[in-house]
Amino acid sequence: MIAPKIIRRLQSVLPPDCLLLATEDLKPFETDGLTAFRNIPDVVALPETENQVKSILRICHESGTPIVFRGAGTGVSGGALPVDGAVLLAMTRFNRILSIDPLARLARVQPGVRNLAISEAAAPFNLYYAPDPSSQIACTIGGNVAENSGGVHCLKYGLTVHNVLSIRVLTIEGDELVIGSEALDSPGYDLLALLTGSEGMLAVTLEVTVKLLPKPERTQVVLAAFDDIGKGGAAVGAVIAGGVLPAGLEMMDRLAVEAAEAYAHAGYPLNAKAILLVEVDGTQEEVSEDVMRVREILLAAGATEVRTARDEAEQKKFWAGRKAAFPAVGRLAPDYYCMDGTIPRKSLPDVLKRMAALSEQHALPVANVFHAGDGNLHPLILYDANRPGEWEKAERFGADILELCVAHGGSITGEHGVGIEKINQMCVQFGSAELGAFHGIKACFDPDGLLNPGKAVPTLHRCAEYGAMHVRGGKLPFAELPRF
Amino acid sequence: MQTQLADSLKDTPEGREADRILRTCVHCGFCLATCPTYQILGDELDSPRGRIYLMKQMLEGAAVTNRTLTHLDRCLTCRNCETTCPSGVEYGKLLDIGRKLAESKVARPLSQQLQRKALATMLPQKKLFGGLLKLGRMAKPFLPATLSLKIPPSPLSRQGREAITPHARKMLVLAGCVQPALAPQINEAATRVLDGIGISLIEAENAGCCGALSFHLNFQEQGLEAMRRNIDAWWPHVQAGAEAIMMTASGCGVTVKEYGHHLRHDSRYAEKAARISALTRDVSEVLLSEEAALRGWLARRGPRESSRVSFHAPCTLQHGQKITGVVEALLTVAGHTIMPVSESNLCCGSAGTYSLLEPDISSKLRDRKLGHLSAPQPDVIATANIGCLTHLQSGTPIPVRHWVELL
Amino acid sequence: MIEALGERIRATQTPLVIRAGGSKDFYGQQIEGDILDVSGHRGIVSYEPGELVLTAKCGTPLAEIEALLDRHGQMLGFEPPHFGTASTLGGTLACGLSGPRRPHAGSARDFVLGMEILDGTGQHLKFGGQVIKNVAGYDASRLMVGSLGTLGVLVQASLKVLPKPQSELTLQFELDETTALKRMNEWSGQPLPVSASLWQSGILSLRLSGASSAIMRAQAKLGGDHHLNGPDFWRQHRDHETAFFSGDLPLWRLSLPPSAPPSSLAGKQIITWGGAERWLKTDADAAEIRAWAAAHGGHATLFMGGHKAAGAFHPLPRALMKYHLRLKGQFDPRGMLNRGRMYPDF
Repeated sequence: MIAPKIIRRLQSVLPPDCLLLATEDLKPFETDGLTAFRNIPDVVALPETENQVKSILRICHESGTPIVFRGAGTGVSGGALPVDGAVLLAMTRFNRILSIDPLARLARVQPGVRNLAISEAAAPFNLYYAPDPSSQIACTIGGNVAENSGGVHCLKYGLTVHNVLSIRVLTIEGDELVIGSEALDSPGYDLLALLTGSEGMLAVTLEVTVKLLPKPERTQVVLAAFDDIGKGGAAVGAVIAGGVLPAGLEMMDRLAVEAAEAYAHAGYPLNAKAILLVEVDGTQEEVSEDVMRVREILLAAGATEVRTARDEAEQKKFWAGRKAAFPAVGRLAPDYYCMDGTIPRKSLPDVLKRMAALSEQHALPVANVFHAGDGNLHPLILYDANRPGEWEKAERFGADILELCVAHGGSITGEHGVGIEKINQMCVQFGSAELGAFHGIKACFDPDGLLNPGKAVPTLHRCAEYGAMHVRGGKLPFAELPRF
Repeated sequence: MQTQLADSLKDTPEGREADRILRTCVHCGFCLATCPTYQILGDELDSPRGRIYLMKQMLEGAAVTNRTLTHLDRCLTCRNCETTCPSGVEYGKLLDIGRKLAESKVARPLSQQLQRKALATMLPQKKLFGGLLKLGRMAKPFLPATLSLKIPPSPLSRQGREAITPHARKMLVLAGCVQPALAPQINEAATRVLDGIGISLIEAENAGCCGALSFHLNFQEQGLEAMRRNIDAWWPHVQAGAEAIMMTASGCGVTVKEYGHHLRHDSRYAEKAARISALTRDVSEVLLSEEAALRGWLARRGPRESSRVSFHAPCTLQHGQKITGVVEALLTVAGHTIMPVSESNLCCGSAGTYSLLEPDISSKLRDRKLGHLSAPQPDVIATANIGCLTHLQSGTPIPVRHWVELL
Repeated sequence: MIEALGERIRATQTPLVIRAGGSKDFYGQQIEGDILDVSGHRGIVSYEPGELVLTAKCGTPLAEIEALLDRHGQMLGFEPPHFGTASTLGGTLACGLSGPRRPHAGSARDFVLGMEILDGTGQHLKFGGQVIKNVAGYDASRLMVGSLGTLGVLVQASLKVLPKPQSELTLQFELDETTALKRMNEWSGQPLPVSASLWQSGILSLRLSGASSAIMRAQAKLGGDHHLNGPDFWRQHRDHETAFFSGDLPLWRLSLPPSAPPSSLAGKQIITWGGAERWLKTDADAAEIRAWAAAHGGHATLFMGGHKAAGAFHPLPRALMKYHLRLKGQFDPRGMLNRGRMYPDF
């Protein structure tokens, strides 16, 4: 609990409608996009001005009160899960686009601006903001920076870190830092790379300047159907090796297709075991050439059907289905648990086979949605939270999938972040030396550990505990650490 | 989402329905993006996901206060969130249940009670409303600006009534409650166009308010009574072969299309209500299916002046009835130019009695909407619902018309 | 090799100067100390063209990596400068330098997927990995790029590589500085296959890359004269082999918002990166150059020559310096690695 004295201090710097204290008002903030983890916050602050944010940070710093930051609450790793005794600080009211400079191709925005709103505002200049996480309609740019969000166009256009020019942040010690600039580089260390994806552990973002790209002259989406998911996986590698760098290369399996089709009516082939969506963009000529090449490669890889979107409307539908695939899976089961592992593309067929076996072993269905071009898997484990024990089963299944990814040389998270959800798997991916270095970085910015405590980087003790439960191949991980 | 409904509710029909709807929500947050009140207020509690959570805890038996009621009151019921929701959460239906339950648990301040009672009683009665409106217009010069802006001027001088020949094809048309007094020219225009394509419109004697006004003010029984009255008024005509019940106000249209749902537990009316709902069509749907006849009539009639039109699709049309692009296409057929309008999915803030109950949020949304509608410098703003029409007109010198008047 | 290097770092009592090919000895503050030679730690560890990922030890010559990629129709997207034949992957990443393609394809750090380092205590740390997307843990790999070896000795890196464009063409236009800047910005905002730009002495050179048909159409749209030896032109500029870069005058590199106006500073100038990078040969006062760059939203580096006493790099605001010092203290608590190479303070 937060001491009444601290609440009173917060009340002295925030108007009443900027501070929520009643349980009734707090409960809706107990979770973000990952509802399996819930914790009612002690207090929610909804500041309207930067001075209010500064005051909140000052009060928290002086009193040793932790802070958890929140944007639109669309994250799916529990990064915005409230922590006991902490202030939940929601930045949603900072939702203004401050300026768009069409000549220099950049937009300066407040952190609560929605990802898609930037592209909408840039559209009159034929420009757009490239990273497009599936939740782009709702997720905020501040959250994108915190998570280093990706999207369906990462392979060609990169993640958030590749598309942000500058951020203005506030540290818990009250230092306001401008990191990066409107130029393409800055003197000193690349703190922009360090803070992007730091999951609200190092500082709070007050302003973001993003790079805008010219809209490609033409985009075209090719849809391919496969009667075997392994063949679909192999086709992904074939497209890349064929010298085409698609703007997006996505794969969905039968269950995901079924759910997405029910929402978007995109005309996906419902009898296919897997479909690939390949988007190519560029000039008229490039697109024509690439479409021809992609079609040939897909047919050679065993596609049973290859379709090119007839017009822009059909392209939009193809993507609408894909982008809504996660929540659309809500039509198949009351709850789903979304994973986010990455693997080298070549491992795709193997991993898929192994995942099917795991699905049988855990007796839970899994719908697969992938950013296949990036080797980024989003298996959606279907379960029913109202059934006792089923969430725990889903969680174990998920842990197995992530460890499978690490075993294939991949990562436990491609774009969703570690948050609270994958904190144990961090111990599988990293050794104690690296985790120690992460704690060192954290200490540089937040020596008292007040920002989003308990997230993103596990303590070594936590790893020792988790390691004790996961003795692999007779080798005890973190054998050097004391256990309790 | 995991749910654990209170014992007192979980086996009731409403409890089961609420549980079913809650369980489809996966808490993804997409709905925040298209919720008008969230855009203005930036508080999750004023978003669909926040309200769903508030209703969830209430349904799970947690104590509620007027905080929950306030956040539910602030919802415009525009149902933009339903259009956005990939999981298919029937938010509107959940809200009906939630509002009723909240109202039963929380006592409203007396002033609010009186205001809502007055609105629910007066507006649906067309004669009473018409009389009050006349009084209001006379008193307008003496009223403070905030109030006088809400009173629309008398309708423009009517075009002369053309002689209407009776046709074999007939459709019912709903006069509604406030529309005859505020804008009688709308149904006159609809009658003229339908006459042109060979369909007679008939108004049933005893039909009146569709029931939406009282129902959404949470006088649900009073609303249901209005629905039954309309069904009784229409039924003989339906049996006599009326093809459809045509709506010129999308707000009424969405409600009549849901009569079947609202009266599903009423053994006497359930079947009739379902049939009425199935027969109900917005005027745009009717004209779309008669497009050939419409083109013929337009050709016979000869060209009229073409206008630059900014179209505001009412929420009850685009989100409630999921009719999109139809009006724009029909106006284009009639020779008008449709101007591009940004944020076309957002509510104008009218939302039935909302503009009277939540004037601050409502006027912010209206001004935001008018900014987008007037940006392309149109000759006229068109819409498809009387509520939006008068609300928008109160904030702009650009004429706001029902689109059917432009045909 | 790594163990030996680690042991050497652990044992040293004098600061170390990390060095492989020595091609960029001129860069940054000039420092003294024992040489830590990492050139022996070389070799390509893995490369699979279908994955678009290459992993190599940091002492591997850049030329060796580029030759291998070239055989498979691929390339390093950031087109790193070589400054001679001795340059290595480690030095390239430690300096964080990118070539003409940078504004269009991305910078050195943009292509880094994973990095192994030896920190100032000789500890071997592995950050990131070999996959395109990876957000587990802080992005320490990219933090190393451009850190000039002050946080750790780079020992191995994984990079994303790109398919080579089908063809390239260089066009030239006679334009004054103001018009050239305007054109570079306008063209960058259009869907044109531009991959490099350079303005010098009234001539704007523009490189187009992509499908032949796309290039032909862009050429038809833009006009200009076809430069017959485009590849050499861009390579010579990239490696500072043209006449502009010779002579004793200090060489400054100004990094600016691309739409920054023409400079009012004295001296000869080349504008690249669509306006975002300006090379200046001048003996103008360092303070004056830095003030102008800062006033226009950028910064200025004394790239080569001149008096490094004025600082090779643009001074940092005090608050930012605080966090630099702390990071240095974390990774290299004894201050043994390239101490002072970036700023005299650390």
